[in-house]
Amino acid sequence: MKRRVVITAMNILSSLGHDHGEIVRSFKERKVNFERPAFDDEVVTSSVREFSIRDYTGPFKEGRYLNRGSQFAVASAIAAIKNSGCKKDDLVEAGLFVGAGPNLNIGGEFPDVRGGEIDREDLQALWILRFLPNTAASVIAKLSGIHGENLTVCTACSASLQAIGEAFRKIKTGYLDRALAGGGDSRLSPGGILAYKKASALYKGDSEPDKASRPFDCSRKGFVPGEGGAFFLLEEFEKAKKRGAQIYGEICGYGSSMDASTMTAPESTGKWRRLAVLSALQEAEMSPSQIDVISTHGTGTLLNDEGEANLIDNIYIGCQPQVIALKSWIGHAASACGAMELAISLICMQENYVPEIRNLRDPCSEKIDFVRNGGTSAFETCVVENFGFGGQNSALVVRQQ
Amino acid sequence: MDVFTELKKIIEELMDIKDRNITPETLLIQDLGAESIDLLELAVTINSRFKIAVRDDEIFLTRFRLYSAEAKQQGEDTMHYIAGKYPFLAKDRIAEIMAHVKEGPQLKIKDLISYVTYRSQWV
Repeated sequence: MKRRVVITAMNILSSLGHDHGEIVRSFKERKVNFERPAFDDEVVTSSVREFSIRDYTGPFKEGRYLNRGSQFAVASAIAAIKNSGCKKDDLVEAGLFVGAGPNLNIGGEFPDVRGGEIDREDLQALWILRFLPNTAASVIAKLSGIHGENLTVCTACSASLQAIGEAFRKIKTGYLDRALAGGGDSRLSPGGILAYKKASALYKGDSEPDKASRPFDCSRKGFVPGEGGAFFLLEEFEKAKKRGAQIYGEICGYGSSMDASTMTAPESTGKWRRLAVLSALQEAEMSPSQIDVISTHGTGTLLNDEGEANLIDNIYIGCQPQVIALKSWIGHAASACGAMELAISLICMQENYVPEIRNLRDPCSEKIDFVRNGGTSAFETCVVENFGFGGQNSALVVRQQ
Repeated sequence: MDVFTELKKIIEELMDIKDRNITPETLLIQDLGAESIDLLELAVTINSRFKIAVRDDEIFLTRFRLYSAEAKQQGEDTMHYIAGKYPFLAKDRIAEIMAHVKEGPQLKIKDLISYVTYRSQWV
């Protein structure tokens, strides 16, 4: 019998809230958190308010090695485990798949090195850990007692969706019965903002902060960086059923590909992004017409949204899936965006709620059913798409159980 | 500056512990669970906060047992030999450590105090 993979626990930490109820309320009350950072009034960011990792972990000394992105990863992972009802013994053989990005807080964190010496009093002996991408995984394992197959995925903005996809495959093919997967990231520091500003990828302008993130709108001007984390417990369906686990959804298919083209811009024909989405649909044994909702990467950059609109137009010929763009609500959480957008999509699926694409006045394509008015709408299947710098493409198909 | 108060603050921050009733008699490894990575951090923090040169093998008494064995091998008086290696330790403290060394690492907060005080006089 074919092995199926279900999601039996999840947690998300986002600028819309830290639990299911808060996030749904934020959607319904149109409550977002976009503002100009104190250090740069040209850009807009969406930060997570009131977050303290020790609320999730309790005191632990390894906390000193976690940068802000890793803190989101560890906190959401620990919260997901708590929600799963699994005990430490249940996790010994579990896998761990983490999407992570670089710590770009160069100004605040990277020491002033002169002649091989560092003139900084608070420099840790092991400051390297604050920069290694697998530090989050190491701390999650230490806190949870996970010992199984694992991977830290660093494929830019595609990373956490790929981490979940890889975990799905390990369970589907029988290497694991249970795996924790997700990611956390934050690049809202001056260093992170500088990096994306230099790359001309960020929104810059003087519009009201909450109007800055406008995916698929003709007047879009770049992405608005966000932050946060989300984690899931994935389990083989029969085993999950046997232990009476709550099931939030089934992962049916995953696809990934590389553009092998430019370092940052999407490949112009969209051929390889298409391959990632079609592979995911094929593995799910679903046709495009069976997809109810597409959670787009939808960054609000000129190139991504144009390419992604063409991609949707091109794949879903004759069908009209509802198209959402969650970055209009939470900004772009870099390597964590896939996990966070999957979590929000699953919450919406459970709530029968489809959120509008905020700030969409003049859509860049007339042929696509962009959700303009959020509201109650039942859906059972969803494709999550994410694409990253370096030509990293990924897609995941989920279905309500 | 009171060396003990400052050390206590450093250790509480580093180990993320509060309300553990840390005294000069507290054992770093046995009581507080400090691992080698924590001692490494402690050394760099003591170095920067007290502005003293810190040698890890001195401050953490890393070679205490090794020196004991060396003294015996060379037919020297153990107490005298170790006092030469760890000039910041009082004789009665060396005797105390020798008496308990088989029970595990004997490093106490008061040894750090001795080290910091000794080093501060020599900078």
